[in-house]
Amino acid sequence: MKELVHFDGEALGHARHTVLADLTLGLQDGQRVALLGPSGVGKSTLLATLRERLGQRAAWCPQEHGLVPPLSVYHNIYMGRLEHHSALANLVNLLRPRRDAWRDIQALCAELGLSGLLKRPVVQLSGGQRQRVAIARALYQVRDVFLGDELVASIDPYQARRLLTMIQRQHATCVIALHQRELALTHFDHVWGLRDGQLILDAPAHELTLADLDTLYPDAGSTDTRPEPA
Amino acid sequence: MRWLLACLLILVSTAASAETFRFTAIPDADQSRLQERFDKVAAYLEKQLDVDVEYVPVKSYSAAVSAFRNDQVQLAWFGGLTGVQARRLVPDSRAIAQGKEDAEFRTYFIANTHAGIKPQGDDLPKNVQGKTFTFGAKTSTSGRLMPEYFIRKQFGAPPKSLFSRVGFSGDHSRTIALVESGAYDLGAVNFKVWEDAVAEDRVDTDKVDVIWKTPTYPDYQWTIRGDIDARYGDGFTDKVRQALLDMDDPELLESFPRQDFIPADNDDYQPIEDIGEKLGLLR
Amino acid sequence: MSDERAPGLLAGNSLNLRLARRSLGLIALCLMVLPFADLAITTHDPWAELGRMLTGLLHPDILATESLPHAIALTIGFALWGTLLGMLLGFPLALLFHRSRLVRAGCAFVRAIHELFWALLLLQVFGLSALTAIAALTIPYAGIFAKVYAEILELTPRAPVDALPEGVGRLSRFVYAELPMVWARLSSYTRYRFECAMRSSVLLGFVGLPTLGFHLESAFREGRYAEAGALLWVFYLMIASLALWGHRRLLPWIALGSLFLLGPWPDIDGALLWRFVSVDLWPKPLLEGNWSGLWQWFGEIPDLLPAIGNTLLLGLMGTAGSLLVALLLWPLASRHFGNRPTRMAGKGVLILMRSTPELMLAFIFLLVLGPSMLPAWLALSLHNGALIAFLVARHADAIVPGSHALPASACYAYELLPRLYGGLLALLFYRAETIIRETALLGMLGIATLGFHIDSSFAYLMFDQAFFLLLVTAGLNIAVDALARRYRPRETADTASERDHPAGEATC
Repeated sequence: MKELVHFDGEALGHARHTVLADLTLGLQDGQRVALLGPSGVGKSTLLATLRERLGQRAAWCPQEHGLVPPLSVYHNIYMGRLEHHSALANLVNLLRPRRDAWRDIQALCAELGLSGLLKRPVVQLSGGQRQRVAIARALYQVRDVFLGDELVASIDPYQARRLLTMIQRQHATCVIALHQRELALTHFDHVWGLRDGQLILDAPAHELTLADLDTLYPDAGSTDTRPEPA
Repeated sequence: MRWLLACLLILVSTAASAETFRFTAIPDADQSRLQERFDKVAAYLEKQLDVDVEYVPVKSYSAAVSAFRNDQVQLAWFGGLTGVQARRLVPDSRAIAQGKEDAEFRTYFIANTHAGIKPQGDDLPKNVQGKTFTFGAKTSTSGRLMPEYFIRKQFGAPPKSLFSRVGFSGDHSRTIALVESGAYDLGAVNFKVWEDAVAEDRVDTDKVDVIWKTPTYPDYQWTIRGDIDARYGDGFTDKVRQALLDMDDPELLESFPRQDFIPADNDDYQPIEDIGEKLGLLR
Repeated sequence: MSDERAPGLLAGNSLNLRLARRSLGLIALCLMVLPFADLAITTHDPWAELGRMLTGLLHPDILATESLPHAIALTIGFALWGTLLGMLLGFPLALLFHRSRLVRAGCAFVRAIHELFWALLLLQVFGLSALTAIAALTIPYAGIFAKVYAEILELTPRAPVDALPEGVGRLSRFVYAELPMVWARLSSYTRYRFECAMRSSVLLGFVGLPTLGFHLESAFREGRYAEAGALLWVFYLMIASLALWGHRRLLPWIALGSLFLLGPWPDIDGALLWRFVSVDLWPKPLLEGNWSGLWQWFGEIPDLLPAIGNTLLLGLMGTAGSLLVALLLWPLASRHFGNRPTRMAGKGVLILMRSTPELMLAFIFLLVLGPSMLPAWLALSLHNGALIAFLVARHADAIVPGSHALPASACYAYELLPRLYGGLLALLFYRAETIIRETALLGMLGIATLGFHIDSSFAYLMFDQAFFLLLVTAGLNIAVDALARRYRPRETADTASERDHPAGEATC
């Protein structure tokens, strides 16, 4: 199996402070990875670094969506492939949607339950709908690897499963940060667990139990197992 | 595209209406309904001169001077000092007529009665020293130039060191209002504006009155550009002058307001030019 | 925890305490220079004239002004085109603003010269024409737009750009992920500036361009108060009803329609223009290379240092006065105080105060108090204070107070002011530059500010002197602006409203 990215004892972080120290880790082609850990532990930093390393091969769906609220659903999704068209074509598309792009995006939206909303400004959508628009934008990129940061945090469990299935059908390789530990075990074949600036878990999903995952969280054992709000 | 077309249309339409003879005039007082009143003057001139004549409303003498300089108007009714300014800027332009009153114009010094200044003989009373004083507009001949000249002549000192405060009200009517209210103790005002205000009962002479009348000097005049004959035909300047001198309809003359127009030329205004230079208002 | 004593008066390091110290510093400085200001009250009997004014305002004569519709149309036309062209020029400059020192300096310079002085300058070349009027608005507005747009663009949220795929071109990135994020703010600021342009357009009438101000100034100056009153009411109505007729669908048609009224366009005499730019604006000795002559020329400029002193003094006093007026007045128009009728009245008073040209306010105070710096100080403080109060009230309305049962004074002091004060002070420090610019307009009160001498130089047709004084004024403004920026509170109590209204809107 080919290794797409490899970290060998590296330190990740921002200019001033290290978020993840001494990271040794490899992402294999065809591997579906769930990234777990408490808020602020460095999941986003790791994903951003992966995105940097993978470059054109990664589709990207960030935590705060990064949508442009005043623009329509269509235009937000279109932005996934903005670099494929000339500046002029993009300008014209703002005024009058491209027919081919419209068709593709319409189909994508139908699958994601966003039918009939293409012309609506994102600012008028609910939180769950926005999340799906962000996912649609990443899917529209059509890349090898899907990188997603807490994509399903604000979506009900049934929808979450459906979306994960959809993403994984299109991408053999993905790394998705989540809080729902059950999903990590059922929908992924590998788990990375972060705690206190360290990678403390790097194992196939089938070797793990929910109790193993609990050790990642400082308040493990408490009755509250709901995900923290994003 | 539509906008561009509209712009073009306007440019074309204005270019087509060139070579209209334009004039401007500012009366000493009462600038209400200028357009209406001076349109009648324009109609009169149009009849006499046989060209299209248009009146351009202008607010201040300095604006009139720049309109004259930019050839936006070819004929203007100027004050004494502004006429000199304009003629120095536009070569070959000349004064052609003045009002009958303008040959012997005066400034009145007025004072609020609280200031306790009484008229005394032929001079400005000595006890004006240390009072507050306001001119009219900065380039007014009767409201600024001549009063400053007479003050300097009599006291040998600039107004700034004679009075405790010197202001510029901007206008003769305002000078009267400010002195009447006591905001300033004294003011210098165009004699015609004062007399009209008294005649029309717009001023309370118990509160403000004249304390000195200056000697006479030349003031308002009609000035015309020098290139007029070349553009409107030989002898056009003389035709304009004649039309002005022939104006005898009281309704038209009332706008200026003058009894009659009499001939004038640049030399009549040499004293004004000399004084302007001496006071540093011209150079 | 052992020495948790109650802090001394104004001691401590919280944001609002720092702001309070800064404001008290400003007021203390103002009090210190006050003895140098001439504040004598010397009037005796202003009541007759004031009575006539009041009568005029209460019995306006709408028919007294000839061609009133034309004047109204021109006022709107100039304002609209000035704003539009200023926007078109300012926007590209805004994109370069943080990258080019030259652009920043250029914008600071054109901004620093008041619209009226631009008009006086352009008048010499383009005469009394729409070109003069529109350019007089466009030039300084381009500078203002560049600065404020740049500030707004700087605050663009980064998230959408970060979410874009790699390799997206600059233009595509800008129009998809940046511009839409700040569009609402840009357009709200532009709309606000249009209102400012309406005021400026009226002011242009004061130097003779045929807007409402042309007739307003004549009528007011000559004591035809019924006519002046009518014109003032018309102007207030135009400002107050801006939301009705200033609709974005309607404005292009108004702009287009007004084009037909703006002519005739002047024939530009190239030789005259060249002479003006290359000869008239410069001291003759400088052009001749005569250095001793230049020294003499310099000596003929009247009272430069006192003029600068007066300008700064009045500017400082005006700023401190505006602070006090704004603090007192903003509750008048805020939803947290009073009831519906009092708020309507309060808003009305603020609109009246900020829309009445300072020149007129100053004249009224001149009648009441006599000539000194006092009328100018009051006029500047009331006008600018009311303007800031209006904006602060708008910010306040976006705040939801925590506890509801507080008496008004407690609500003011504990709930609202602490959250608003930073914004208020930021607005004030922005405004300082404008106040300095406006002191120039009050020369008619016999206060020899720089503006008084500039006005004189234009009247005496000494353009070289006028231009030199304009450069001095511009330099002074830029210095004051830099100083104000240095002391402007940067960190403000974080409320949604303040993020929605950048302080740049005070630069009207």
